[in-house]
Order: sequence, then C-alpha cells, then structure tokens
Amino acid sequence: MATTSTRKTISVEINGRTHERDVPASMLLVHFLRDELDLTGTHVGCDTGSCGACTVQLRGDAVKSCCLLAVQADGASITTVEGLAGDEGELTPLQQSFNEHHALQCGYCTPGMLMSATALLEHNPHPSEDDVKVALQGNLCRCTGYWNIIDAVVAAGEGGAR
Amino acid sequence: MTAIETEAGTLRKGAAMGQSVPRREDRRLVQGQGLFFDDVKRKGMGYLHFVRSPYAHATISSIDVSAALELPGVYGTLTGDEVAILTDPFFQIAAPPGAAVKDYALAVGKARYVGEPVVAVVAETRERARDAAELVMVDYEPLEPVVDARAALAEGAPVLHEECGGNLSYAGVWEWGDVDAAFAEADHVVKIDELHFDRFNSTPLECSGALVEYNRGTSQWTMYTNNQFPGFAAIMMGPAMRVGLDKLRIVTQDIGGGFGNKITTHPQLVACCLLARKLNRPIQWTEWRTEFHQSMSHGNERWFEETEVAVKADGTLLGFRTKAIDDAGAYLRYEPLGGVIWSQVAAGLYKWRNLRLEFTQAMTNKAPVSPNRGYSRMQHLWFTERVIDIVAHTLGFDPVEIRRQNYVQPEDMPYETPNGCVYDSGDYPRALELVLELIGADTIEERRAEAASRGKLLGLGIGSTLDSGTNNFGQSQLINPELQFSGNNEVATVKLDIFGEVVVTLGTTPQGQGHETTAAQVVADILNCDVNMVHVRAGHDSYWNSHAGFSGTYASQFAVTGLGAVKGAADLLAGDMVKLASMVFQCPEEAIELADGFARIKDNPEAALPFMALGAIPNANNAGFPEDPPTMNRRFVYRPPFQVPDKERKFGNLTLTYSLQMHACVVEIDPETGVTEVVEYAAVDDCGVRINPQIVEGQVMGATAHAIGAALWESFVYDEDGNLLTPNFYDYHVPHALDMPPLKTAAIESPSPFTPLGTKGMGEGGGGGIHCICAGIQDALRAAGGAIVTDSHNPYHRVWELLSDPERSRGSVEVSSR
Amino acid sequence: MLLREVEYARPATVEEAISLLSEHDGARALAGGQTLVNVMKARAASPDVLVDLADLDELRTISFSADQSALELGAMVTNSQVIASSEVEVARPILAEVAATIADVQIRNRGTVGGNVCVNDPTNHYPPLLAALGATFTIRGVAGERILAAEDFFLGVYVTAVEEGELLTTISVPTRKPGTGDAMAGVTLGAHGTYLVSAAATAGPAGVRIALGCVSSVPVRATAVEEKLAGGDLSEEAVRAAVAGLGARLDPPSDVHASADYRRHLAEVSAVRAVLQAAERAKG
Repeated sequence: MATTSTRKTISVEINGRTHERDVPASMLLVHFLRDELDLTGTHVGCDTGSCGACTVQLRGDAVKSCCLLAVQADGASITTVEGLAGDEGELTPLQQSFNEHHALQCGYCTPGMLMSATALLEHNPHPSEDDVKVALQGNLCRCTGYWNIIDAVVAAGEGGAR
Repeated sequence: MTAIETEAGTLRKGAAMGQSVPRREDRRLVQGQGLFFDDVKRKGMGYLHFVRSPYAHATISSIDVSAALELPGVYGTLTGDEVAILTDPFFQIAAPPGAAVKDYALAVGKARYVGEPVVAVVAETRERARDAAELVMVDYEPLEPVVDARAALAEGAPVLHEECGGNLSYAGVWEWGDVDAAFAEADHVVKIDELHFDRFNSTPLECSGALVEYNRGTSQWTMYTNNQFPGFAAIMMGPAMRVGLDKLRIVTQDIGGGFGNKITTHPQLVACCLLARKLNRPIQWTEWRTEFHQSMSHGNERWFEETEVAVKADGTLLGFRTKAIDDAGAYLRYEPLGGVIWSQVAAGLYKWRNLRLEFTQAMTNKAPVSPNRGYSRMQHLWFTERVIDIVAHTLGFDPVEIRRQNYVQPEDMPYETPNGCVYDSGDYPRALELVLELIGADTIEERRAEAASRGKLLGLGIGSTLDSGTNNFGQSQLINPELQFSGNNEVATVKLDIFGEVVVTLGTTPQGQGHETTAAQVVADILNCDVNMVHVRAGHDSYWNSHAGFSGTYASQFAVTGLGAVKGAADLLAGDMVKLASMVFQCPEEAIELADGFARIKDNPEAALPFMALGAIPNANNAGFPEDPPTMNRRFVYRPPFQVPDKERKFGNLTLTYSLQMHACVVEIDPETGVTEVVEYAAVDDCGVRINPQIVEGQVMGATAHAIGAALWESFVYDEDGNLLTPNFYDYHVPHALDMPPLKTAAIESPSPFTPLGTKGMGEGGGGGIHCICAGIQDALRAAGGAIVTDSHNPYHRVWELLSDPERSRGSVEVSSR
Repeated sequence: MLLREVEYARPATVEEAISLLSEHDGARALAGGQTLVNVMKARAASPDVLVDLADLDELRTISFSADQSALELGAMVTNSQVIASSEVEVARPILAEVAATIADVQIRNRGTVGGNVCVNDPTNHYPPLLAALGATFTIRGVAGERILAAEDFFLGVYVTAVEEGELLTTISVPTRKPGTGDAMAGVTLGAHGTYLVSAAATAGPAGVRIALGCVSSVPVRATAVEEKLAGGDLSEEAVRAAVAGLGARLDPPSDVHASADYRRHLAEVSAVRAVLQAAERAKG
C-alpha cells in the first residue's frame, strides 16, 4: 500500500546517466534539472506552462518540465539539450541547421525548440513546414518570429534526422 | 519566405563584412551552454522573493516580518523603512514637478501599483522564500487608484506622489514652422478626435534577475544580471546607495532578450545589494513571468487628442496639431525622456514643415513604463501613419499615392526636418515600390473578390516607419534644462595577445544581436585576417571591459557606436602592427601592408611577420628597440558628432542615423466574428551598409513578430481597480509558430554618410507591423461600414465593434473644407 | 511558480488510489498535471496530498464496449493517444480532431481526457464536445461505481460529480452511427488557442445535439435550437433561423477578451457553423 510523504528518493536517467536524489514532492522537474543537477540548459520563461522554454524529452516525447513534478519522473528516461551533441561536442544536424539558418538570437528559447524539434524528427524524419509549425506551437520565441526556426527544422529533416 | 537583395552599399566591404557569417554565439547556445543569470550559483546563496502589493494604491501602515523570520531556513528580510534609511531616492531625470518623485528599491510608506515590491524575503530555497513571503503581514489602507492618464490629470484625481502636487510628470509644447499659416493655407482640415496607442511590451522570454555578491573586505558588489544598460543602472544605483560607481560591478553574459525591457531593473538590484550586505551571503533573485508582467517595463500608452491635419487639394500634407497624453505608470525611471525621444521622428517620413505637439505625461497606478522596442518613436510614427491613412480614407486619396507624394524624397537627403533632425539617407519611394511588389499589390482586387467568395473581408495595409538610432543624449536637456547629459559614446578594445590571437572587448551587452560575430567581421577586414582569428569576449563585465557612461545595448545603435568603437580600435591596432613591422624590417611604414594574417613588405611578401610575432615582441621580447614598440593593445571611444540641441527652439540633431522599414500586409477579417488573420506579409529594410545581412534580417523578422503580436493580441489591460487582467501568458497571448503569416523580405542599402562604416543602427524596427495591420484592417472594413481604425491594438472584440458600429469611429473624424 | 509543500503517493492500483483519496482530506488526483501543476504553481489551490495516477495502466486503455456501441476511453488516456488511436479514428474521429487543437504537443503528450473533463474549466474542449456526443462518465469510489450523463457530471466551474475519495475511471462515447456528422466550432485566442466561445454539434438520424462552451459554468445544451431543428431541415436558412435568439437566452461572463454581448453573438455564430459543418459531414 502506497504511503504519502513530502519527500521521495527518485532515480531518473538523464542523457544516459542515472541520478538518484532525495527531493521534495513540491519540486518541479525543471528546478530539479537546473538547481539540483546543474543542467542549466533547460530554461524557465513563464509560470503557466505556456512558453515551452523548459521542454525536454520524456521517454522520447516532448514535455514541459515546468508542468511536471520531479517525483513524477521517477524511473523515467529524459533527454535534455545537453544530451544532444556528441561527447566531443559534435553538433547534431539539427543544431547545425539552427546555426546555418540563423534560427536563434538570444538563445533562451533554443533548448526548448531543439527538444521539440528533436522529438518531432524522431517520429517524423521528413516533416513538412506545417508539421514543424504544429510541433513548435508550444515553444514561444520573442526574437526570431519563428520563420528561420521553421526553415532550420525543415532543412534538418530533408538532410536526415538525428 | 524569400529574400531579395538589392543595391549594395558603396562603402568598402572586405572578405568578412557584408557576409552572412554564421554566428559564433550559436555553438554554446545550441548546446544549452549559454550563461544566463539564473545559471550562476554560489554556495550558501539565499533565494529572494518579493512580497508585492495587492493594491494599486494604498498607504502601508505597518509591516510585520516576525512570522516569516521564524520559518526554518529563512535568512532575513528587507523592508521599505530600512531602504529609506540606507539609501537615498533614485535620481530623477524630470524637472519639477516630476523631479519630486521619491523612488526607492522598495515601496516606502505607500504602494502605487499592484505588484510593487514591498518586502524582500530571503531563504535557503526558492520555495521556502515563497512560503515565508506569505507569512509577512502588511497592513494596507487602500486608497482610490487612478488608471487612466487623462483622469490622472483631471482636477481632484488621486495623487500618487504627494510631493509632486499632482500626477503630472512633464508637459511641453513642441512647435516648428508656422502652424497657423499652414492651417490658413489648407484646402481641407481633417480633425481626428482621438488616436490611441496601447500599452504592451516585448516580454523577453527570460525575465529579470540577478545573483548578487558582496565583498566585505572591499565593500564592493558583483551583480551577475541581465540588465542591458549597465551604465544607466550604475548611475542610478551609486548615488542612491551612497557608494562610488567603482563599488558596483555588473557582469552580463547571455541575456534572454531585452528589447529595452531590461533597462530599469535598478530598484530590484539595489534590494539585492542591500540584502547581500545585510545577510552576508550571495542573493539570488529570479523574477517570474507574472511578476514581470505586473511590474517591469511596460511600453508607453499614448493618446493623441484633437488632432488636426492641414491638407492641400492635391493631397500635400502641410502640417498637424495634436495633443499627446502619455501614461508613465507609477514611477518615472527612464521617463520623462519619452517626452522628447518621439521628436527624433516628429515629421515621420513626410515633408510637412509645420508641426505642433503638446506633450503631457502623467503618472498612474500601473506598472512603471520603461523603454520598449521602438521606444516613443513607434508611438509617434504610428500616429503619423494613422494620420496619412485616415486623411487618404476620408478625402478619397489612394493610400499609396499620397504616401509617395508626401515622402521625403531621396534627392532631399540628407534632410533636415522642421526640428533640426537630419535624416541621413534613404529612398522611401523605392522601398514602397519594392514592398508593394513583394506583397503582390497589383493583384489585390482579385484577392479581395476571392476572399469575399469565402465570406471574408480582405484588406491591404502599408506601414512605413523609421528606426532612428544613436541618440544624442543632449535631447534630455529639452525636457530638463538642468541635466548634464549630451552626446553618446561606446568603447571597444582590440589587442594582440602574446600568441597573436586578436582579442576584442566591447562595452555593449547584447541580448541576441550577434555582437561577437559582427565585431569579429569588422576587425578581420581591417586587419586583413581570417574572421576566425578574431576572438570577441562574450559578455560585459563593468570591471574588466572598458566602457563609458552610455555603454550598453539599446536604442538601435550597435552598428554605429559599437562597431564605430571597434573600427576605431582596430584601425589603431592596424597602425601599430604596421609600425612594428616597419621597426622590425627597418623600412618605411608605407612599405608595409597587412594581408592574409601577416604584416609584410608589399614589394617582398616573403618578408612577413605573422600576428604571433607581432604580439610576442611587445609582450615578451622588447629589448633592442631604439623607441618603444607599440603595445598592440588599443582602446577607442567612438563619439558621434553631436551638438547640444537648442533648448529654446527644441531644435537640433537628436539621432545620427535613420533606418527605414517599409511593411505591407494582407489581412482577412471574418465579418461574423471580427477575428482577424494576417495572411501575407512583406517587409523591406534599409539600414545602410549591412555587416551581416542574415543578422539584420533576423532583427527585421523579430520586430515584425513583436508588432503583429501588439497589433492583434498583446495588451496590458487594467481594470478600474488597477488590477492587471493580462498578467501572464494565459491571457497575454504571445503569437506562436502557427500564428505567423508567410513573410517575404528584401533589403536596400543606402549607406549613412555620417557613420564610420556607412552602417545605421537598427533592431527596434519602429513598429511597422502595427502601422500596416491597422491600415490593412481599415482597408478591409471599407466594404463593411468603412470604420476608421483609431487604436493601435485591434483584438477580435475591437474589430467586431468596428464592424457593428462603424459610425462611431467614422464620427470621430471630421473634415472641413473650403 | 513555486509550490507549497505537499504529500505525494503513487499507488499501483485503482483501489489503492481510491483508498488514498478517501483517507486523506484535501487529497487530489494527479493525472497529466498540465492543469493541476500549474494551479499549484500559482498557489491558486494547494492540495495537501497528491495521488499520482501514473501507474494505473487500467485507466490508459481505449477499447470498445462489449456490444460495440461505445468507445471507452480510460480517464488517463492522453490527448496524444487519442490523436494516434485507430479505434478513435474508426469510431468517433471528432475526438481526435478536437484533441489535435488542444494547447500544444507538449501538453497533449501529458494532458489526459479525464483530467480535462474533471477540471471542467469553462474554456476546456472536452466538456462541451462530450456533452454534445452524449458521453457517459463512470465514477468509482469506495462504495462502488456509478455512471452519469454529461448534464449530471458537469456541475460548476472546476466542479464535477466526482467527489472526494472518488475517481473518474472511464468516459464512454457512443460510436458514430451511419449518417451522423460531428463538428466543433468557435473562436480561439490565436490558432489552437484557448476558446473564447465554443460550440460542439452532432447531426444525424437521431436529430441534432448542440453544446456550448465558455458561456456558463457548465456546458450548455442548446435544447431550444435542437427542438427547432428536429424536423431534419438543416439548410443554412433553417439553421440560422433556429439559432436566432439563442444568445439572448444565455448569460455568459465578461472578461478581457470578450464582453457578455460579444460572447452571446459568438455563441450564435459558432452554433450555426458547428451545426452546418456537422450536417455537411453527415452526408459524407
């Protein structure tokens, strides 16, 4: 019979590495990543689950880590932006495509965009422009207007997925 | 989305300048390795949460923090009483009556807007600080709030700052030419009761915040923060905190968007500084989205009342009169500079010579305003574009022809406006022609018919706008003659390190504009080396970067001031390198050239010194020279050529460059609902010589997206009690990827004759999207009642009102003709 | 943005979940969390106990009822699951069509149908849709199970018939009969945004059903309109005539996006469009 408690020891696999930590149940997953594990690539841009800057992949699916408690991620496998590039810093075709297409300016929304786009390309390796817009609808950007981001993801799809 | 390039500038471009060099900032940002303030951590840091006023206007009769302090893990608090003892009120830019405003890091004695920080609580975790904040007991006695600037100026209105005697912060009359004569000469006078530019801002995705440390031994603070104008912040903070500016070190690296909204964070930074000292631990403050919306940097809301436009029978605009009422919110932080900055573009793009604007600014119980992308010029340019569009609409002129006819013409450039500003260059008619081509204006009637067959109203809108850049801060004296600010500056250093690496430091604080890349491009071409040999330091550190009073990234100026400083320093370094090579080779300097990463003898290229040698000699191998070898470390302060403006006439050159943006859109309106969709969009940009065309285009796109959001969805709406009804992204809808129209862009390069590289500042954009969407909506509504658009912000319900009751808006415009 | 301290449990079975919900005052079920976590971030509500339903696999299935007359959605079925489901596509595709317009991909990956209906925010998509479709809702508690129709399930803003200690387990949606068409229309804040007004309609041999969202604390069946259209004439003229006067009978809220009068008008327009589209689809 499950008991209730205000804290829990969780085990989460992030970018291929397992982390075990004792966390309060009230801790958001995004704060767990940023404050507890020092994975500061995932960002916070709002407080209503609207902006997507906190997007990570949970079991491959794009989710907003500010809309999840860390305890809900117990036993799960997560990929953050830090898990995209290779061990020697080799950028993925998607990351390179962002650079080529000037798909980022301040870079704050970029990790979330990359995670949503990576999840898309894993399910749909050659997305159309419309597919990309739907996939990125939950990621707000205030710098680019999205046009270059959409081009970058479509181009990455044409070149082959991650 | 297509891009068409047109005439290139005549100014020199090398291998790097003028190329869309991919940004070097991207490598760290796409890996999540950017360093934003919230990424900075210190052992033992305390997290700060502000207790904020739930009332728009209230006296604070008592504050009890004892329950909060009893909570385990709470480190301490700060109240307004302490702040009033430890600091002096912030310096005010305003002359009396605004000068009497007392503005502190926390509310002192009174709260003046919902969300105003009243108490700061610091605890060992973020959540604990939030919990403790709920235990702070503040006794408020609510007062009647005033939330409309016009009501705030009326007799008997509740007064926010008693010392000011009323809510007026600044009033002035701005008049040039012979306005009465112009109206006497007019064949038509078009009167517009009211035009209203709404309150919104750019909501950068990263909110404000800081990690502040205090060094007890040296009494010096270090602030890791995202303030985009550290020079201004320091000037505000130092005197208030009664410390020299050298005690305030501001460090920025990556900033998640600024758009002007991260200029006035100094009150919160002072609170952090005081707590860092009081509690002897680093203080971490993160502003959350709702807090940002409630309290940080709204854009100026402005009414233009009783506008009159003098028009000749042939459509020539002779002049205008209007009364501008500006809403500054509860405190004046960068205001009332908005009261003069609009005059950089007083004439808009038009040739009229007789202008009169009475500018009155009031304080209200709403969030304090601060610069927002397009600051104060956007409001005025929107006004001029509405004017010309409404004149066309009511007098039966074609909106394209009347613009063409009244634009300042390319042969008039450089053009001195009625108030002495100088438009440096630009071909407005050519840009208009180009944007019409991009939007397919010649097929608009067919598209209108096709849309009608689907039950939709279709409209074409044009918005022409200017992005004035590189301020002359002397204009501040036009709203307060006692101020001692004038001119402008920016600083850069360029050096050769001991192994020949070229290292550049900037005084700027970019928030996505790609300074590291464009600065490298300029230096690479001047030194004639590969752009990858030039390293530009990321971020700004006020201790270690050379900077000056105006350093920062704001007001569309980097390509002039920042790159002007970079060019100046690089030119000096190039001279040093040539000189050193001539000393080594014992030949005249004229015989030396810099090429391919070497300093070499022109006639004997084999005799070449690599950068490494040039760097090593003065650093580590300087014996044997009869005179000192140049040090290979140069600093340059770029100073634009400005005079102090004439305060009497309010006349003079206020900005060095004028970029142009010409926007056009096609909108479709659902006449049954008022839902408006932008279905096509085109923008032409002319910012003079473009150092990195892709970066420039990125700025044009971003400004377009901001303008579309402001035109249709984004507004800070208050109820009559001063509660913000759009305090987060649920109700303040930021457009996303599905909301954006297809976009075509093009560029013209009309070099500026006034700048070191022929570049012009750009980036703010001038709000062109707002202007053209208003025009598009008005055009679409011709077929359904002919309403006139008088608001900058046209959400569905407003368009519905224009459809349901067109007579009301039409009735607000009156034409008298002779 | 920062939650209050909360007790948390992750039961392995529905029975365990119900026990935990009954035993603890102020316990709330945590489904996808896309609403509840955000409510807790704002501290608009701070339950003392969260009972995480994540491991309750029996609530995650999509299947047909024994007699194939209804599609049974487990309460924990996510919107993404609905969109991808071949059962939904065959039996009642409007569910997937509407699911695809809820918020964004990330939220659809976590947000559940059960969560959406139990929150009963007036702007939510599923309540009016399921009311129009004649869905039923199975609630299980310590005392057993009961099945409710939509009008008995949705009780008020954020309030449903699910009481403390109970769990919504299944939503049962009648499969679409031949000659039936479904549609949902309305006005949203931006593409795929929050509804300002919504109308869901189904048209078929059994007549027309219309349910409006955003105009009251619960979905409103436009029964007077349904009666006027009972004769089967679903021409544009007839539908407009039947809908006329609907707005006057409503008492919708006013907010920053729409006044009460504007909502009344949008309700009429949306009802017309939903019915006409449903009628069009009924032919196909």
